[in-house]
Amino acid sequence: MAATPQRSNPKPSPKTPNPSPALPPTPGTSSLRRSIRLLSSPKTPIPDSCPADRPKTPRSKRPLLPIPERFSPVTPNPPESKRRRRSAPEEPKKTRASGGAERRRVYYRKVVYDGGEFAVGDDVYVKRREGAESDAEDPEVEECRICFRVGEGVLIECDDCLGGFHLKCLKPRLRKVPEEDWICGFCAAEKTGKEVERPKPPEGKSLSRTAKEKLLSSDLWAARIESIWKEPDCIYRAKCRWYIIPEETAAGRQPHNLRRELYRTNEISDIEMESVLRHCFVMSPKDFKEASNAGDDVFYCEYEYDIHWHNFKRITDVDDDCEIVAAGKDEDWNISNDSGCDTDDDSEFEEERNMTFSAQKYKSHDMAANSRKGRIFGLQRIGIKKIPEYVRCHKQTDLEKAKATLLLATLPKSLPCRSKEMEEITAFIKGAICDDHCLGRCLYIHGVPGTGKTMCVLTVMRNLKAEVDNGTMRPYCFIEINGLKLASPENIYRSIYEALSGHRVGWKKALHHLNERFSDGVRVGKEDNQPIVLLIDELDLLLTRNQSVLYNILDWPTKPHSKLTVIGIANTMDLPEKLLPRISSRMGIQRLCFGPYNYKQLQEIVSSRLKGIDAFEEQAIEFASRKVAAMSGDARRVLEICKRAAELTDYRLKQCLQSTRHSCSVSNSAKGKDIVGMTDVEAAIQEVFQAPHIQIMKNSSRLGKIMLVAMVHELYKSGLTEITFEKLATVVLSLCYSNREALPGYDTLMKVGCKLGESRVILCEEGTKHRLQKLQLNFPSDDVAFALKDCSELPWLSKYL
Amino acid sequence: MVAAETALAILRTRLSNPTFAHSHLKSSSESNYSKLKFIVSSSIAEACNNSVLLLGPRGSGKVAVAELVLEDLKAEHADEISVIRLNGLLHSDDNCALKEIARQLCLEHRLLFSKMASSDDNSQFMIDMLRECGLAHKTTIFVLDEFDLFTQGKQRLLYSLLDALQTLTSQAVVIGMSCRLDADQLLEKRVRSRFSNRKLLFIPPSADEMQRLIEHLLYLPKDSGLPTKFVTEFNSRLSNIISDKKFKEIVNSISAVDGTISNLLTFLFRAVSYMDVESGFLMMENFKSAELCMQKQPKIDCLQAGASVLDLYILVCMNRLEIKERNSYNFTSIMKEYKAIHDAYKTSDNYAFTVCLRAFEHLLDQELIGFVDSKGHNQSIDFRPVRLLISSRELYEGLKSNPLSPAILLKLFDHESYK
Repeated sequence: MAATPQRSNPKPSPKTPNPSPALPPTPGTSSLRRSIRLLSSPKTPIPDSCPADRPKTPRSKRPLLPIPERFSPVTPNPPESKRRRRSAPEEPKKTRASGGAERRRVYYRKVVYDGGEFAVGDDVYVKRREGAESDAEDPEVEECRICFRVGEGVLIECDDCLGGFHLKCLKPRLRKVPEEDWICGFCAAEKTGKEVERPKPPEGKSLSRTAKEKLLSSDLWAARIESIWKEPDCIYRAKCRWYIIPEETAAGRQPHNLRRELYRTNEISDIEMESVLRHCFVMSPKDFKEASNAGDDVFYCEYEYDIHWHNFKRITDVDDDCEIVAAGKDEDWNISNDSGCDTDDDSEFEEERNMTFSAQKYKSHDMAANSRKGRIFGLQRIGIKKIPEYVRCHKQTDLEKAKATLLLATLPKSLPCRSKEMEEITAFIKGAICDDHCLGRCLYIHGVPGTGKTMCVLTVMRNLKAEVDNGTMRPYCFIEINGLKLASPENIYRSIYEALSGHRVGWKKALHHLNERFSDGVRVGKEDNQPIVLLIDELDLLLTRNQSVLYNILDWPTKPHSKLTVIGIANTMDLPEKLLPRISSRMGIQRLCFGPYNYKQLQEIVSSRLKGIDAFEEQAIEFASRKVAAMSGDARRVLEICKRAAELTDYRLKQCLQSTRHSCSVSNSAKGKDIVGMTDVEAAIQEVFQAPHIQIMKNSSRLGKIMLVAMVHELYKSGLTEITFEKLATVVLSLCYSNREALPGYDTLMKVGCKLGESRVILCEEGTKHRLQKLQLNFPSDDVAFALKDCSELPWLSKYL
Repeated sequence: MVAAETALAILRTRLSNPTFAHSHLKSSSESNYSKLKFIVSSSIAEACNNSVLLLGPRGSGKVAVAELVLEDLKAEHADEISVIRLNGLLHSDDNCALKEIARQLCLEHRLLFSKMASSDDNSQFMIDMLRECGLAHKTTIFVLDEFDLFTQGKQRLLYSLLDALQTLTSQAVVIGMSCRLDADQLLEKRVRSRFSNRKLLFIPPSADEMQRLIEHLLYLPKDSGLPTKFVTEFNSRLSNIISDKKFKEIVNSISAVDGTISNLLTFLFRAVSYMDVESGFLMMENFKSAELCMQKQPKIDCLQAGASVLDLYILVCMNRLEIKERNSYNFTSIMKEYKAIHDAYKTSDNYAFTVCLRAFEHLLDQELIGFVDSKGHNQSIDFRPVRLLISSRELYEGLKSNPLSPAILLKLFDHESYK
């Protein structure tokens, strides 16, 4: 929490509350809203005090719970005299309630302060200097950089200098706002290296800077409010996380930084609400793209900047990942706080526990990164010192786009060809959750790898979650476990228990707790009453000798109050039949088969991903899907083949490009062949499906070839597949003798044999058996004949094949 | 003198460094180097995951090429690559491999590593780290040497590794290397389905490439600080040797056994080591003696020079017993045979039982003969069944060329088997 020493700039210190802060500048209540980035600046002033007009940004990470109406503020009113000019805190959210509030902090979720409404999770401008005059003036409307007047038609923003220009002031005039990036004439000229004189403002009128400009020239700060509270002495304070402009990072501004780019730091400090100016909007890349006309105070934030280690990291929605584990905890906290009737001891205890917990984390001897306790510890160090340029500035070609969409990791927007199965799963889960007293709900899903089993279930779960969020469905708890990622089958108890309760215990204890919970109906908390959906991927890995793990897990759903639903996924279709009858009777009732895709479906999968990208020939996709459908029907396989084909084309093109660059000759194949054709797909298929043994045979050493031929020869003669080394050596020697080859020694032959055995062209026993070693061809003799028939090095070999 | 020694040092460093031999193949677009580099660098630049298998016989330069690629990429993207190296011989156990991965990840990112962490923790840590690294635009490259050995057991490691690659945030490349051609067939279905099936085949160089490689390896560079006169003299002599027909024959006979690059390097290293420092130049004789050295036949050599008369007697007796189609015999029956020969031909070589036993043990140690089965250690040596481990032809050749061997043995051998 302490302010970090790394930032040399003075900052409102959290430790010393400012005794007499300057009067907070009023963001003129009647001033104009921001000029809109691409559209016309409004002529009529919109009162800033109306919070409803503010563009709503979906940027807050934790969804704010709707403020309950019934909830009456229980805060004791602070003495009126001490509140200065601010309006009363409205709708206090989290309160510590009742007596003795003078000594405690009172937390709010939303505060109306100086006419602005600030909520937790909002982004705000923060004053950098106390009482600096320039901060006080806060023009909300941008002036045109040419005529220096406000309003009067559409302003367009330069993407480079961020200045606003009237469409009509530009030379030549622009009719309408262009779709793509636009750079003003001054910047364009500057880029070509010319001296540019920008129009100066008329005499007597200084160019007033907007808050955005001040921020970008580091006269203001931006921050995100993490929490707001009122001190016992009635000063409103907030904990906030700072944003930083590229110039202030160790790497400095890099050429690929956007003008409006900010970095989120991991520095958090307390500030007084006094120093908060007003709202700004820091958005993720996706939101930023959509928010084309959200005003001037919009910023772009893609990376987090670690101020201790000076490195960058992309921001993702962390919430998504910890959901499963942390959901219980979060919910818990909110519920207990929302209920509004807890005593303050309770919440204080909660916080204290939290504090000690985190303190333990740091103080405990085990700060290692790989033991789970320290998971938070040290991971922040990973980050890149400088964002590599190619990440940003790289313009993707069609081929590269195609490669990206063909990645297995990219989840398609829709799952083609699996709607029936998805419906079935949805119906099953809905039935299991909505029905209160159903018993033994268990679904077994089987199908060969790469038919979308897990993906379907996860998609269904995502859809259902949306329904839960909409309130059309009861909330439930979803646990996902992969059998192959468990160290031993018994560890599944541990994983389940941890997912349910957040505690880590040994598997025996976990089993005991789970048994208690599911069989005997012992409930720990209220939220435990939620139905549970348990997804076990690779179910067959849970088989133990006495199959007790599977039995336990499949037995719980049959218990009256367990509210447990199990979905098992495995490859084999007859897994229930292989199990003990008491298990298969619990599991084998409801099954869902994911058949291998046929070629049409595969084709649809690939083309649905490649929609809008012109990179593949139609027949090429069909060829690949037909081939894969004939072999396995594995969607992953066909995607990989297509990706590989794209890679091969890309490789060829780039090599071509290089060679033309070197020789300056126009190669005829470079043009018109930049889409993936049949030959590339064919090559990719070859690589995937064809064993490389023929090539290895063709390129093996001279003696190796003779040896292989001798083996084939001997196989034809005797009909036995196995041959001892002594016999083989005699054959090889006689072959060599009759064809005037140099006679090899026995030990040399042995070495050659072992070499071949190593690459599994032949199967052989270990060399220590010497002449008793048994050898055998690993591939059909026809393959050897095919490979060595017309060998230029040893033409006589074909006689013996 | 000094120049010759420096030249020798230069050549030796080159020859003992496999990456140097492969570096001359860099430029061609067909080489595995540029293919592998394209795969890895494109997955760095495009932030995607990839897995590739390098297949080829031992000594064909899989590791060397991979190292070369990694080195170059490290130079290009200094901060963005971390390499995790695992070897199937050391880490085929899943838990131990996960621990090793965690250890190397910690080392790479200067985090604290705990030995006590359970394997669940470690695998979770790996997944977290992959995610974090992906977010920081860092690529993690897993190099799995002896890939086929990772396929023993449940393949949990490969599964969790390849499954972690299926997420969008991670950014990793798995490079597997194996000398088994069927390495990808060893993968379990569900693991293979996640594996992206890129295969690069390493095949031994052709005769032309071999020639060029030798030139690349042995010609002294102009800018090495050696006197120019010496360098030109050295190189011109060398080119005479290389264009010699005899030299080509030598190289052919070396590559007839094993055409891989590492075998060639061993051969050249030997040749260079035979170089006469006094004259300071490589001679044809050096290559000849190196070839002789490479084509040693230890068993025949042993019979020719190392075997005593009694050893030969015992071997011949065993051979006689095998010809009599006695599948199982032991030291006692060998002694009986020995006595029979002695009685029939009245040889002068009559040794006591204990002396014979010593010779027998000596042969066992040399693995010219061996026990039929490995069990039965508690049985005394003279009753355990034994077999001859050299073929009769080898024995015959050995007898013929051994100066000590009594004429009677050769006669016996001739008499019994070749008439």
